[in-house]
Amino acid sequence: MLALRLARGTHPLVLLRRLAVAAASAGTGFLLLCALGYALGHPQAAGPAVLRLAWCVLPIAATVHFAVAVARTDPATRPRAALSAVGLGPGRMMLLSAISTAVSCTLGSMLALLFFLHLRGDISGLPLDGAAAQLLGSGQPLPVAGVCTLLLVVPTAATLAGALTLRPRTLKPGAEQPAPEDPAPPAPTPGGLPWGVALMAMGLAVETYAARGAAAGGGLPLPGRLASSSAAILGGWAVTAVGLALAGPGLTYLCGKLLQAARPGAARLLAGRALQEEARRIGRPLGVVCAVSSGALAALALSTGAARIGPLTVLGSALVGGCAVLTLATAAVEARQSRADTTATLVKLGAPASLLRGAAGLRAAALLVVFGPLTWLIGTLAATPLTGH
Amino acid sequence: MVAPPDNDVLWARTLHFSRGGTPALTGVSVGVREREILAVGGPRGSGKTTLLQCLSGQLVPQQGEVWFNSTPVHTMGPLVRERLRRDKFGWIDPQPRLVPELTAWENTALPLMLHGAGNRAARKVALEWLDRLDIGACARKRPYALTHAERQRVAIARALVAGPTVLFADEPTAPLHRADRAHVLRTLTTAARSHGITVVLATHDADVAALADRTVSLLDGRRVHTVPLPADAEPEGAACSLSV
Repeated sequence: MLALRLARGTHPLVLLRRLAVAAASAGTGFLLLCALGYALGHPQAAGPAVLRLAWCVLPIAATVHFAVAVARTDPATRPRAALSAVGLGPGRMMLLSAISTAVSCTLGSMLALLFFLHLRGDISGLPLDGAAAQLLGSGQPLPVAGVCTLLLVVPTAATLAGALTLRPRTLKPGAEQPAPEDPAPPAPTPGGLPWGVALMAMGLAVETYAARGAAAGGGLPLPGRLASSSAAILGGWAVTAVGLALAGPGLTYLCGKLLQAARPGAARLLAGRALQEEARRIGRPLGVVCAVSSGALAALALSTGAARIGPLTVLGSALVGGCAVLTLATAAVEARQSRADTTATLVKLGAPASLLRGAAGLRAAALLVVFGPLTWLIGTLAATPLTGH
Repeated sequence: MVAPPDNDVLWARTLHFSRGGTPALTGVSVGVREREILAVGGPRGSGKTTLLQCLSGQLVPQQGEVWFNSTPVHTMGPLVRERLRRDKFGWIDPQPRLVPELTAWENTALPLMLHGAGNRAARKVALEWLDRLDIGACARKRPYALTHAERQRVAIARALVAGPTVLFADEPTAPLHRADRAHVLRTLTTAARSHGITVVLATHDADVAALADRTVSLLDGRRVHTVPLPADAEPEGAACSLSV
């Protein structure tokens, strides 16, 4: 009840983020149910049905990633003096956040079920009744256990991941506990850059090697026939994406370091140091966005126009892309929240608003200059061996 | 109404300000002479901080006037007040609010950089001030690695570095131990006197007020001539007796 009461009084933007989580969960749930519907309608085609289910892993991962980012940003779930005064510590706050995540994801799953039943023709009285009855295997009874299992995947995974992220940290015995008003020590330098670069190189190499021997039409075709690619190529691609996500924080840190190098003025100094401080928070989702967009670039380069892209593929890719971008936006909000004290100090010093805006613009420009060409490069490199044939 | 003396650098007339319905200032008038150290005394909750915020242009009084060097502060727009605060005023908080990702000298040089000074020039002046306040050795450390007293001295250096006309210090020694407190106050007053900076110092401590040229006492948002309290005015979190 407390979670609901806290949610009722929050800012509309916070509620909007929760609603976005619900929408992402609804989309993913719908994709899962569609895979089930396909399996019901084509009992003899077990292979393609399993493949459809396997492709749902990407939207699920994107949705869980987004839900965790929103849970971390939610002002209702961070330790507050008012709640701490009545004895709600980090443990209970974690519980509150888990409840909020579970509620919004389950809401999305319910919507997905309603929409699925409606399109199947099981619920009537609205436009588009049974519009996709053939595709979704209408006429076959729905297995209740299967539906429940599929719909519970996203809420369970998101809740568990969120709770794990926000779990109360225990201090080592003897460690000095910092007072809340003391300045925080600087975040450690992210060290994933060499690993990320190595993984990217390895992924691209595997992909190129596999593409040389790949027979057309083999392996794991995307349901919408966007790209028929072999398992090795997809594996190489996945390794490259993981490498980008790992390299993100290190690259962001490097951006900040370069930005504040060589006798900086106030704007460059503040922008660069803030980027270094926020490298971990911003870099990871930024790397994911890069991976997704370079994947989209590669897919665009590969799609020749002859292949028809199905609506479910569009929905799935929109979900993955949207979740990645929204996660990045949420991380940016989190970074701004954590820098609220610094901003207040600067305003108190009489720093003009144009300086603060200029520093933010510098940060964005530096990230764009580094990550934009990188995305393009990875996307082009990933597409080259496949288009060469 | 008596015309203010000519050498008043800052003066306020019948200031009224209420916070959330509770009056914080009710008709306070005060004049600050050039190059003097003025202590604003009174127990906690007597309106010292609000008075300093009104005088420094952070708050606009609901009634009354604030004049700085014959310019009205209370009628200025927010941008002009911001520039006035940046160019003419310095401010020291009870807590040293430093930017955590900048080193001590960068924090000190920040006001100069906001004025548009180059990195090298700002660094030179900032290091000089840190040396003057005996914390030159910490110039390259970040705030988390400094002790509380060192942080507060960095905050003082930051307030003094741009050469303000008036320095507002709101309980600058409140969270410090006695030895640190005396040292911080001594450096603050010496620097102000040697550079001809006017200081408005809010404090509830009678010992601190003794360092000032003049003391203005506030009680419940009113200016009083004698505070009806024992000389060693009530410390923070004073024990209060409750009869139930």
